[in-house]
Amino acid sequence: MTTTSITLEHVGLDLPIFDVSGQSLKKRVLRAGRRNRIAEDNAGVVIVRALDDISFSIEAGDRLGLIGANGAGKSTLLRVMAGIYPPTAGSVRTQGKTVPLLDISLGMDEHSTGRQNIRLRGLLLGMGDNEIRSKTEEIAAFTELNDYLDLPLRTYSTGMRVRLGFAISTAVDAEILLLDEVLGVGDARFQEKAKARLEGLHRRAEIVVIALHSNEAIRKACNKAIWLDRGKLMAMGSTAEVTAAYEAHVARG
Amino acid sequence: MAALGTATADLAASLKSWRLWSLLGWIEIRQRYARSKLGPFWLTISMGVVIGTIAFVFGTLFHQDMATYLPMLSIGMVTWTLMSTIITEGCNAYINSAQYIRQVNTPRLIYLFQAMWRNFIIFLHNFVIVLIVLGIYGVKSWETVPLFVPGLLVLLLNAVWMAMVVGLFSARFRDLPQIVAAFMQTMYFVTPIMFAASALKKHEWIVTFNPFAYLIDLVREPLLGHWPTPFTWVVALGMTVVGWIFALALTGRYHRRIPYWL
Repeated sequence: MTTTSITLEHVGLDLPIFDVSGQSLKKRVLRAGRRNRIAEDNAGVVIVRALDDISFSIEAGDRLGLIGANGAGKSTLLRVMAGIYPPTAGSVRTQGKTVPLLDISLGMDEHSTGRQNIRLRGLLLGMGDNEIRSKTEEIAAFTELNDYLDLPLRTYSTGMRVRLGFAISTAVDAEILLLDEVLGVGDARFQEKAKARLEGLHRRAEIVVIALHSNEAIRKACNKAIWLDRGKLMAMGSTAEVTAAYEAHVARG
Repeated sequence: MAALGTATADLAASLKSWRLWSLLGWIEIRQRYARSKLGPFWLTISMGVVIGTIAFVFGTLFHQDMATYLPMLSIGMVTWTLMSTIITEGCNAYINSAQYIRQVNTPRLIYLFQAMWRNFIIFLHNFVIVLIVLGIYGVKSWETVPLFVPGLLVLLLNAVWMAMVVGLFSARFRDLPQIVAAFMQTMYFVTPIMFAASALKKHEWIVTFNPFAYLIDLVREPLLGHWPTPFTWVVALGMTVVGWIFALALTGRYHRRIPYWL
Protein backbone atom coordinates (compact mmCIF):
# COMPACT_ATOMS: atom_id res chain seq x y z
CA MET A 1 0.00 0.00 0.00
CA THR A 2 1.53 3.27 -1.06
CA THR A 3 0.18 6.53 0.13
CA THR A 4 -0.68 9.42 -2.09
CA SER A 5 2.21 11.80 -2.57
CA ILE A 6 4.01 14.10 -4.97
CA THR A 7 7.78 14.47 -4.88
CA LEU A 8 9.75 16.88 -7.04
CA GLU A 9 13.52 16.77 -7.08
CA HIS A 10 15.51 19.58 -8.69
CA VAL A 11 12.90 20.02 -11.37
CA GLY A 12 13.86 22.33 -14.20
CA LEU A 13 11.86 23.03 -17.30
CA ASP A 14 13.04 24.77 -20.45
CA LEU A 15 10.26 25.73 -22.81
CA PRO A 16 11.38 26.11 -26.41
CA ILE A 17 9.57 28.92 -28.18
CA PHE A 18 9.47 28.04 -31.84
CA ASP A 19 9.16 31.12 -33.93
CA VAL A 20 7.88 30.66 -37.42
CA SER A 21 11.33 30.11 -38.84
CA GLY A 22 12.41 27.63 -36.19
CA GLN A 23 9.52 25.38 -36.98
CA SER A 24 9.99 25.20 -40.70
CA LEU A 25 11.91 22.43 -42.38
CA LYS A 26 12.68 24.76 -45.27
CA LYS A 27 14.50 27.18 -42.97
CA ARG A 28 16.46 24.35 -41.45
CA VAL A 29 17.58 23.06 -44.83
CA LEU A 30 18.46 26.57 -46.00
CA ARG A 31 20.41 27.16 -42.81
CA ALA A 32 22.45 24.01 -43.38
CA GLY A 33 23.93 25.57 -46.51
CA ARG A 34 25.05 28.72 -44.75
CA ARG A 35 28.38 29.12 -43.00
CA ASN A 36 27.47 32.31 -41.23
CA ARG A 37 27.25 31.71 -37.48
CA ILE A 38 25.38 34.88 -36.70
CA ALA A 39 22.63 33.97 -39.11
CA GLU A 40 22.44 30.58 -37.48
CA ASP A 41 22.04 32.10 -34.07
CA ASN A 42 19.40 34.48 -35.31
CA ALA A 43 17.36 31.64 -36.70
CA GLY A 44 17.76 29.50 -33.59
CA VAL A 45 15.11 28.50 -31.11
CA VAL A 46 14.50 30.76 -28.13
CA ILE A 47 14.37 28.94 -24.84
CA VAL A 48 12.56 30.16 -21.76
CA ARG A 49 13.45 28.70 -18.40
CA ALA A 50 9.98 28.24 -16.97
CA LEU A 51 11.00 26.33 -13.84
CA ASP A 52 14.38 26.33 -12.18
CA ASP A 53 15.60 23.78 -9.62
CA ILE A 54 12.37 23.16 -7.75
CA SER A 55 12.28 20.53 -5.02
CA PHE A 56 9.51 19.77 -2.56
CA SER A 57 7.24 16.96 -1.53
CA ILE A 58 3.68 16.81 -0.32
CA GLU A 59 1.62 13.93 0.99
CA ALA A 60 -1.92 12.83 1.71
CA GLY A 61 -3.92 15.49 3.52
CA ASP A 62 -1.97 18.41 2.13
CA ARG A 63 -3.71 21.38 0.53
CA LEU A 64 -1.05 23.25 -1.36
CA GLY A 65 -1.50 26.76 -2.70
CA LEU A 66 0.77 28.20 -5.40
CA ILE A 67 1.22 31.96 -5.34
CA GLY A 68 3.24 34.36 -7.41
CA ALA A 69 2.91 37.02 -10.05
CA ASN A 70 1.66 36.32 -13.58
CA GLY A 71 4.18 34.24 -15.47
CA ALA A 72 5.85 33.02 -12.29
CA GLY A 73 5.41 29.42 -13.44
CA LYS A 74 2.34 28.38 -11.45
CA SER A 75 0.46 26.84 -14.34
CA THR A 76 3.61 25.25 -15.71
CA LEU A 77 4.29 23.66 -12.33
CA LEU A 78 0.75 22.26 -12.30
CA ARG A 79 1.32 20.79 -15.76
CA VAL A 80 4.55 19.20 -14.63
CA MET A 81 2.77 17.62 -11.67
CA ALA A 82 0.00 16.43 -14.00
CA GLY A 83 2.55 14.72 -16.24
CA ILE A 84 1.70 16.90 -19.23
CA TYR A 85 5.14 18.47 -19.46
CA PRO A 86 7.90 16.02 -18.64
CA PRO A 87 10.59 18.07 -16.85
CA THR A 88 13.79 18.74 -18.77
CA ALA A 89 15.85 18.37 -15.57
CA GLY A 90 15.29 16.56 -12.28
CA SER A 91 12.44 14.17 -11.58
CA VAL A 92 8.79 14.12 -10.59
CA ARG A 93 7.17 11.22 -8.81
CA THR A 94 3.44 11.13 -8.22
CA GLN A 95 1.63 8.41 -6.36
CA GLY A 96 -2.13 8.31 -6.88
CA LYS A 97 -4.69 9.11 -9.54
CA THR A 98 -3.99 12.65 -10.71
CA VAL A 99 -6.62 14.81 -12.38
CA PRO A 100 -5.78 18.27 -13.69
CA LEU A 101 -8.65 20.74 -13.98
CA LEU A 102 -6.86 23.49 -15.84
CA ASP A 103 -9.59 24.53 -18.23
CA ILE A 104 -13.12 23.50 -17.38
CA SER A 105 -14.47 24.14 -20.87
CA LEU A 106 -11.95 21.84 -22.57
CA GLY A 107 -13.37 19.32 -24.97
CA MET A 108 -16.90 20.62 -25.06
CA ASP A 109 -18.47 20.09 -28.43
CA GLU A 110 -20.88 22.67 -29.83
CA HIS A 111 -22.98 20.24 -31.82
CA SER A 112 -23.38 17.63 -29.12
CA THR A 113 -26.11 17.80 -26.53
CA GLY A 114 -25.45 18.52 -22.88
CA ARG A 115 -25.66 14.84 -22.04
CA GLN A 116 -23.28 13.84 -24.83
CA ASN A 117 -20.88 16.47 -23.54
CA ILE A 118 -21.06 14.95 -20.08
CA ARG A 119 -19.85 11.67 -21.55
CA LEU A 120 -17.13 13.29 -23.65
CA ARG A 121 -15.75 15.38 -20.84
CA GLY A 122 -16.01 12.44 -18.45
CA LEU A 123 -13.92 10.27 -20.77
CA LEU A 124 -11.36 13.06 -21.12
CA LEU A 125 -11.08 13.26 -17.35
CA GLY A 126 -10.32 9.56 -17.31
CA MET A 127 -13.66 8.25 -16.05
CA GLY A 128 -14.94 4.86 -17.16
CA ASP A 129 -18.28 4.31 -18.85
CA ASN A 130 -19.90 2.90 -15.72
CA GLU A 131 -18.67 5.80 -13.63
CA ILE A 132 -20.05 8.28 -16.15
CA ARG A 133 -23.42 6.52 -16.29
CA SER A 134 -23.75 6.50 -12.53
CA LYS A 135 -22.81 10.17 -12.27
CA THR A 136 -24.78 11.61 -15.18
CA GLU A 137 -28.02 12.09 -13.27
CA GLU A 138 -26.29 13.77 -10.36
CA ILE A 139 -24.41 16.09 -12.75
CA ALA A 140 -27.60 16.83 -14.66
CA ALA A 141 -29.45 17.69 -11.48
CA PHE A 142 -26.68 19.99 -10.30
CA THR A 143 -26.60 22.03 -13.51
CA GLU A 144 -30.36 22.77 -13.23
CA LEU A 145 -30.42 22.83 -17.01
CA ASN A 146 -33.30 20.34 -17.18
CA ASP A 147 -34.56 19.98 -20.75
CA TYR A 148 -31.68 22.02 -22.12
CA LEU A 149 -29.45 19.01 -21.51
CA ASP A 150 -31.00 17.39 -24.56
CA LEU A 151 -30.29 20.40 -26.77
CA PRO A 152 -26.96 20.99 -28.51
CA LEU A 153 -24.43 23.07 -26.65
CA ARG A 154 -24.51 25.86 -29.23
CA THR A 155 -27.93 26.88 -27.94
CA TYR A 156 -26.52 27.52 -24.43
CA SER A 157 -25.74 30.87 -22.92
CA THR A 158 -22.24 31.47 -21.54
CA GLY A 159 -23.48 30.99 -17.99
CA MET A 160 -25.11 27.68 -18.86
CA ARG A 161 -21.91 26.41 -20.46
CA VAL A 162 -19.90 27.31 -17.40
CA ARG A 163 -22.39 25.51 -15.17
CA LEU A 164 -22.21 22.37 -17.26
CA GLY A 165 -18.42 22.44 -17.45
CA PHE A 166 -18.18 23.06 -13.74
CA ALA A 167 -20.63 20.31 -12.83
CA ILE A 168 -18.83 17.69 -14.92
CA SER A 169 -15.34 18.68 -13.84
CA THR A 170 -16.20 18.69 -10.17
CA ALA A 171 -17.82 15.25 -10.35
CA VAL A 172 -14.43 13.68 -10.82
CA ASP A 173 -12.91 11.48 -8.14
CA ALA A 174 -9.21 12.15 -7.87
CA GLU A 175 -6.60 11.30 -5.30
CA ILE A 176 -4.56 14.25 -6.47
CA LEU A 177 -6.45 17.25 -7.75
CA LEU A 178 -4.68 20.05 -9.63
CA LEU A 179 -6.62 23.28 -10.07
CA ASP A 180 -5.74 26.43 -11.93
CA GLU A 181 -7.49 29.39 -10.30
CA VAL A 182 -10.72 29.03 -8.43
CA LEU A 183 -13.46 27.70 -10.62
CA GLY A 184 -15.76 30.70 -10.74
CA VAL A 185 -19.38 30.19 -11.71
CA GLY A 186 -22.37 32.19 -12.81
CA ASP A 187 -24.89 34.09 -10.73
CA ALA A 188 -24.85 34.68 -6.99
CA ARG A 189 -27.32 31.96 -6.05
CA PHE A 190 -25.49 29.35 -8.08
CA GLN A 191 -22.19 30.45 -6.56
CA GLU A 192 -23.29 29.30 -3.09
CA LYS A 193 -24.15 25.88 -4.45
CA ALA A 194 -20.87 25.76 -6.37
CA LYS A 195 -18.90 26.54 -3.23
CA ALA A 196 -20.42 23.64 -1.37
CA ARG A 197 -19.69 21.34 -4.30
CA LEU A 198 -16.08 22.50 -4.51
CA GLU A 199 -15.64 21.76 -0.83
CA GLY A 200 -16.97 18.27 -1.43
CA LEU A 201 -14.50 17.84 -4.28
CA HIS A 202 -11.63 18.94 -2.07
CA ARG A 203 -12.69 16.57 0.68
CA ARG A 204 -12.75 13.58 -1.67
CA ALA A 205 -9.21 14.24 -2.89
CA GLU A 206 -6.24 13.38 -0.73
CA ILE A 207 -4.02 16.09 -2.16
CA VAL A 208 -5.19 19.36 -3.67
CA VAL A 209 -2.89 21.83 -5.41
CA ILE A 210 -4.34 25.19 -6.43
CA ALA A 211 -2.74 28.06 -8.29
CA LEU A 212 -4.22 31.29 -6.99
CA HIS A 213 -3.88 35.04 -7.16
CA SER A 214 -5.80 35.88 -4.03
CA ASN A 215 -4.00 35.36 -0.74
CA GLU A 216 -7.34 35.41 0.98
CA ALA A 217 -8.54 32.34 -0.89
CA ILE A 218 -5.27 30.54 -0.23
CA ARG A 219 -5.47 31.12 3.51
CA LYS A 220 -8.96 29.67 3.50
CA ALA A 221 -8.34 26.62 1.34
CA CYS A 222 -4.75 25.56 1.99
CA ASN A 223 -2.51 24.45 4.80
CA LYS A 224 0.72 24.82 2.82
CA ALA A 225 1.86 27.29 0.23
CA ILE A 226 4.61 27.79 -2.29
CA TRP A 227 5.72 31.16 -3.57
CA LEU A 228 7.13 31.10 -7.08
CA ASP A 229 8.93 33.95 -8.75
CA ARG A 230 10.18 33.71 -12.34
CA GLY A 231 10.34 29.94 -12.16
CA LYS A 232 12.23 29.84 -8.86
CA LEU A 233 10.93 28.59 -5.55
CA MET A 234 11.13 31.59 -3.18
CA ALA A 235 9.51 30.06 -0.12
CA MET A 236 7.61 27.03 1.02
CA GLY A 237 5.92 26.43 4.33
CA SER A 238 2.72 27.05 6.20
CA THR A 239 0.20 29.24 4.41
CA ALA A 240 0.51 32.04 6.95
CA GLU A 241 4.30 32.32 6.66
CA VAL A 242 4.47 32.16 2.88
CA THR A 243 1.61 34.57 2.20
CA ALA A 244 3.10 37.00 4.73
CA ALA A 245 6.49 36.82 3.01
CA TYR A 246 4.85 37.26 -0.40
CA GLU A 247 2.80 40.23 0.76
CA ALA A 248 5.87 41.87 2.25
CA HIS A 249 7.67 41.36 -1.05
CA VAL A 250 4.80 42.84 -3.03
CA ALA A 251 4.56 45.81 -0.64
CA ARG A 252 8.27 46.51 -1.09
CA GLY A 253 7.62 46.50 -4.84
CA MET B 1 14.85 0.03 -25.93
CA ALA B 2 13.58 2.50 -23.35
CA ALA B 3 11.96 4.40 -26.20
CA LEU B 4 10.10 1.27 -27.32
CA GLY B 5 8.91 0.74 -23.74
CA THR B 6 7.50 4.26 -23.52
CA ALA B 7 5.76 3.88 -26.86
CA THR B 8 4.24 0.46 -26.15
CA ALA B 9 2.97 1.70 -22.77
CA ASP B 10 1.33 4.59 -24.58
CA LEU B 11 -0.03 2.23 -27.22
CA ALA B 12 -1.58 -0.04 -24.59
CA ALA B 13 -3.13 2.90 -22.75
CA SER B 14 -4.39 4.34 -26.03
CA LEU B 15 -6.05 1.09 -27.05
CA LYS B 16 -7.64 0.90 -23.62
CA SER B 17 -9.25 4.32 -24.07
CA TRP B 18 -10.91 3.30 -27.34
CA ARG B 19 -14.12 4.86 -26.10
CA LEU B 20 -12.51 8.26 -26.06
CA TRP B 21 -10.92 8.21 -29.51
CA SER B 22 -13.87 6.59 -31.20
CA LEU B 23 -16.12 9.27 -29.68
CA LEU B 24 -13.74 12.08 -30.69
CA GLY B 25 -13.62 10.66 -34.21
CA TRP B 26 -17.41 10.55 -34.41
CA ILE B 27 -17.74 14.05 -33.08
CA GLU B 28 -15.49 15.38 -35.82
CA ILE B 29 -17.68 13.77 -38.45
CA ARG B 30 -20.77 15.17 -36.76
CA GLN B 31 -19.20 18.64 -36.67
CA ARG B 32 -18.28 18.52 -40.34
CA TYR B 33 -21.74 17.50 -41.43
CA ALA B 34 -23.80 19.16 -38.74
CA ARG B 35 -27.34 19.80 -39.92
CA SER B 36 -26.71 18.49 -43.40
CA LYS B 37 -29.35 15.93 -44.29
CA LEU B 38 -27.12 13.45 -46.08
CA GLY B 39 -24.10 13.96 -43.82
CA PRO B 40 -21.03 11.95 -44.79
CA PHE B 41 -22.97 10.46 -47.69
CA TRP B 42 -22.10 13.67 -49.51
CA LEU B 43 -18.60 12.24 -49.69
CA THR B 44 -20.01 9.03 -51.09
CA ILE B 45 -21.86 10.96 -53.74
CA SER B 46 -18.86 13.05 -54.76
CA MET B 47 -16.64 9.98 -54.80
CA GLY B 48 -19.26 8.20 -56.90
CA VAL B 49 -19.25 11.08 -59.38
CA VAL B 50 -15.44 11.07 -59.58
CA ILE B 51 -15.34 7.32 -60.13
CA GLY B 52 -18.04 7.56 -62.78
CA THR B 53 -16.16 10.33 -64.59
CA ILE B 54 -12.82 8.55 -64.51
CA ALA B 55 -14.47 5.34 -65.65
CA PHE B 56 -16.03 7.17 -68.58
CA VAL B 57 -12.91 9.09 -69.68
CA PHE B 58 -10.13 6.61 -68.93
CA GLY B 59 -12.24 3.59 -69.68
CA THR B 60 -12.72 5.00 -73.17
CA LEU B 61 -9.09 6.11 -73.52
CA PHE B 62 -7.71 2.72 -72.50
CA HIS B 63 -10.46 0.80 -74.34
CA GLN B 64 -11.43 -0.92 -71.13
CA ASP B 65 -14.21 -3.40 -70.59
CA MET B 66 -16.44 -1.77 -67.95
CA ALA B 67 -17.24 -5.09 -66.28
CA THR B 68 -13.59 -5.42 -65.24
CA TYR B 69 -12.53 -1.78 -65.18
CA LEU B 70 -15.25 -0.30 -62.98
CA PRO B 71 -14.92 -2.79 -60.09
CA MET B 72 -11.13 -2.40 -60.16
CA LEU B 73 -11.36 1.38 -60.24
CA SER B 74 -14.00 1.79 -57.55
CA ILE B 75 -12.42 -0.59 -55.04
CA GLY B 76 -9.03 0.97 -55.71
CA MET B 77 -10.28 4.55 -55.28
CA VAL B 78 -12.23 3.88 -52.10
CA THR B 79 -9.32 1.97 -50.54
CA TRP B 80 -6.73 4.51 -51.64
CA THR B 81 -8.80 7.35 -50.16
CA LEU B 82 -8.91 5.53 -46.83
CA MET B 83 -5.16 5.01 -46.74
CA SER B 84 -4.06 8.38 -48.07
CA THR B 85 -6.37 10.45 -45.87
CA ILE B 86 -5.26 8.58 -42.74
CA ILE B 87 -1.69 9.49 -43.65
CA THR B 88 -2.30 13.12 -44.70
CA GLU B 89 -4.66 13.82 -41.80
CA GLY B 90 -2.29 11.97 -39.49
CA CYS B 91 0.09 14.88 -40.10
CA ASN B 92 -2.30 17.11 -38.18
CA ALA B 93 -3.28 14.58 -35.52
CA TYR B 94 -1.07 16.10 -32.82
CA ILE B 95 -1.20 19.67 -34.13
CA ASN B 96 -5.00 19.85 -34.09
CA SER B 97 -5.20 18.28 -30.65
CA ALA B 98 -2.68 20.69 -29.12
CA GLN B 99 -5.35 22.07 -26.83
CA TYR B 100 -6.05 18.61 -25.41
CA ILE B 101 -2.43 17.56 -25.17
CA ARG B 102 -1.56 20.67 -23.17
CA GLN B 103 -4.50 20.37 -20.77
CA VAL B 104 -5.02 16.70 -19.97
CA ASN B 105 -2.61 13.87 -19.59
CA THR B 106 -4.18 11.34 -21.95
CA PRO B 107 -2.11 8.80 -23.88
CA ARG B 108 -0.83 10.48 -27.02
CA LEU B 109 -1.54 7.86 -29.69
CA ILE B 110 -5.29 8.27 -29.17
CA TYR B 111 -5.12 11.31 -31.46
CA LEU B 112 -3.83 9.15 -34.31
CA PHE B 113 -6.41 6.46 -33.66
CA GLN B 114 -9.00 9.23 -33.73
CA ALA B 115 -7.88 10.19 -37.26
CA MET B 116 -7.86 6.52 -38.26
CA TRP B 117 -11.35 5.95 -36.88
CA ARG B 118 -12.81 9.05 -38.51
CA ASN B 119 -11.52 7.97 -41.90
CA PHE B 120 -12.62 4.39 -41.36
CA ILE B 121 -16.18 5.59 -40.79
CA ILE B 122 -15.97 7.63 -43.99
CA PHE B 123 -14.61 4.53 -45.74
CA LEU B 124 -17.66 2.56 -44.63
CA HIS B 125 -19.86 5.23 -46.24
CA ASN B 126 -17.81 5.16 -49.44
CA PHE B 127 -17.92 1.38 -49.48
CA VAL B 128 -21.54 1.66 -50.57
CA ILE B 129 -20.16 2.46 -54.05
CA VAL B 130 -18.21 -0.79 -54.09
CA LEU B 131 -21.31 -2.71 -53.05
CA ILE B 132 -23.33 -1.09 -55.83
CA VAL B 133 -20.68 -1.76 -58.48
CA LEU B 134 -20.26 -5.37 -57.37
CA GLY B 135 -24.03 -5.68 -57.27
CA ILE B 136 -24.22 -4.62 -60.90
CA TYR B 137 -21.30 -6.62 -62.30
CA GLY B 138 -21.49 -9.54 -59.88
CA VAL B 139 -18.86 -11.09 -57.61
CA LYS B 140 -16.47 -13.29 -59.60
CA SER B 141 -15.66 -15.70 -56.80
CA TRP B 142 -17.10 -15.74 -53.28
CA GLU B 143 -14.23 -17.92 -52.12
CA THR B 144 -11.70 -15.10 -52.11
CA VAL B 145 -13.97 -12.42 -50.66
CA PRO B 146 -13.42 -13.14 -46.92
CA LEU B 147 -9.70 -12.56 -47.43
CA PHE B 148 -10.49 -8.89 -47.95
CA VAL B 149 -10.95 -8.47 -44.18
CA PRO B 150 -7.39 -9.37 -43.12
CA GLY B 151 -6.20 -7.41 -46.14
CA LEU B 152 -8.02 -4.31 -44.94
CA LEU B 153 -6.64 -4.83 -41.44
CA VAL B 154 -3.06 -4.96 -42.74
CA LEU B 155 -3.67 -1.84 -44.82
CA LEU B 156 -5.02 0.01 -41.78
CA LEU B 157 -2.08 -1.09 -39.64
CA ASN B 158 0.31 0.26 -42.25
CA ALA B 159 -1.57 3.51 -42.66
CA VAL B 160 -1.47 4.03 -38.90
CA TRP B 161 2.26 3.56 -38.52
CA MET B 162 2.89 5.90 -41.43
CA ALA B 163 0.56 8.44 -39.82
CA MET B 164 2.45 8.03 -36.53
CA VAL B 165 5.72 8.92 -38.23
CA VAL B 166 4.47 11.90 -40.24
CA GLY B 167 2.29 13.11 -37.35
CA LEU B 168 5.29 13.27 -35.07
CA PHE B 169 7.54 15.11 -37.49
CA SER B 170 4.73 17.44 -38.56
CA ALA B 171 4.35 18.62 -34.98
CA ARG B 172 7.96 19.80 -35.10
CA PHE B 173 8.26 20.83 -38.76
CA ARG B 174 5.13 22.52 -39.99
CA ASP B 175 6.07 22.24 -43.67
CA LEU B 176 5.73 18.50 -43.60
CA PRO B 177 1.93 18.28 -44.02
CA GLN B 178 2.28 20.09 -47.37
CA ILE B 179 5.10 17.80 -48.47
CA VAL B 180 3.17 14.70 -47.47
CA ALA B 181 0.04 15.89 -49.27
CA ALA B 182 2.03 16.51 -52.46
CA PHE B 183 3.77 13.15 -52.11
CA MET B 184 0.51 11.24 -51.67
CA GLN B 185 -0.96 13.04 -54.66
CA THR B 186 1.96 11.83 -56.77
CA MET B 187 1.68 8.31 -55.42
CA TYR B 188 -1.97 8.29 -56.41
CA PHE B 189 -0.95 8.57 -60.06
CA VAL B 190 1.76 5.91 -59.96
CA THR B 191 -0.23 3.37 -57.95
CA PRO B 192 -2.41 1.11 -60.07
CA ILE B 193 -5.80 2.57 -59.26
CA MET B 194 -6.90 4.12 -62.53
CA PHE B 195 -4.93 1.60 -64.57
CA ALA B 196 -3.98 -2.07 -64.29
CA ALA B 197 -0.38 -2.77 -63.31
CA SER B 198 0.08 -4.93 -66.41
CA ALA B 199 -0.70 -1.93 -68.64
CA LEU B 200 2.64 -0.37 -67.68
CA LYS B 201 4.51 -3.02 -69.69
CA LYS B 202 8.25 -2.30 -69.50
CA HIS B 203 7.79 0.23 -66.69
CA GLU B 204 6.25 -2.24 -64.29
CA TRP B 205 9.01 -1.42 -61.80
CA ILE B 206 6.92 1.63 -60.87
CA VAL B 207 4.52 -0.80 -59.26
CA THR B 208 7.06 -3.37 -58.08
CA PHE B 209 8.81 -0.79 -55.92
CA ASN B 210 5.63 0.95 -54.78
CA PRO B 211 4.72 -0.20 -51.26
CA PHE B 212 1.23 1.25 -51.56
CA ALA B 213 0.49 -0.97 -54.56
CA TYR B 214 0.86 -4.09 -52.39
CA LEU B 215 -1.49 -2.75 -49.73
CA ILE B 216 -4.15 -1.82 -52.29
CA ASP B 217 -3.81 -5.28 -53.86
CA LEU B 218 -4.45 -6.98 -50.52
CA VAL B 219 -7.87 -5.34 -50.33
CA ARG B 220 -8.77 -5.23 -54.00
CA GLU B 221 -7.74 -8.64 -55.30
CA PRO B 222 -9.99 -10.72 -52.98
CA LEU B 223 -12.99 -8.59 -53.94
CA LEU B 224 -12.18 -9.07 -57.64
CA GLY B 225 -12.05 -12.82 -57.22
CA HIS B 226 -8.27 -13.25 -57.19
CA TRP B 227 -5.95 -14.56 -54.50
CA PRO B 228 -3.28 -12.01 -53.60
CA THR B 229 0.10 -13.61 -54.33
CA PRO B 230 2.13 -14.91 -51.35
CA PHE B 231 4.77 -12.34 -52.31
CA THR B 232 2.23 -9.53 -51.80
CA TRP B 233 1.47 -10.87 -48.34
CA VAL B 234 5.14 -11.17 -47.46
CA VAL B 235 5.87 -7.58 -48.54
CA ALA B 236 2.81 -6.17 -46.76
CA LEU B 237 3.35 -8.08 -43.52
CA GLY B 238 7.06 -7.29 -43.55
CA MET B 239 6.22 -3.60 -43.93
CA THR B 240 3.75 -3.86 -41.06
CA VAL B 241 6.30 -5.35 -38.66
CA VAL B 242 9.26 -3.17 -39.63
CA GLY B 243 7.10 -0.06 -39.89
CA TRP B 244 5.50 -0.49 -36.49
CA ILE B 245 8.81 -1.09 -34.75
CA PHE B 246 10.24 1.99 -36.45
CA ALA B 247 7.19 4.15 -35.67
CA LEU B 248 7.05 3.01 -32.04
CA ALA B 249 10.76 3.59 -31.51
CA LEU B 250 10.43 7.06 -32.99
CA THR B 251 7.30 7.90 -31.00
CA GLY B 252 8.96 6.69 -27.80
CA ARG B 253 12.10 8.67 -28.54
CA TYR B 254 10.20 11.95 -28.98
CA HIS B 255 7.22 11.20 -26.74
CA ARG B 256 8.41 13.69 -24.13
CA ARG B 257 8.95 16.42 -26.69
CA ILE B 258 5.45 16.38 -28.22
CA PRO B 259 3.82 18.83 -25.77
CA TYR B 260 6.77 21.20 -26.20
CA TRP B 261 6.45 21.21 -29.97
CA LEU B 262 2.80 22.17 -30.01
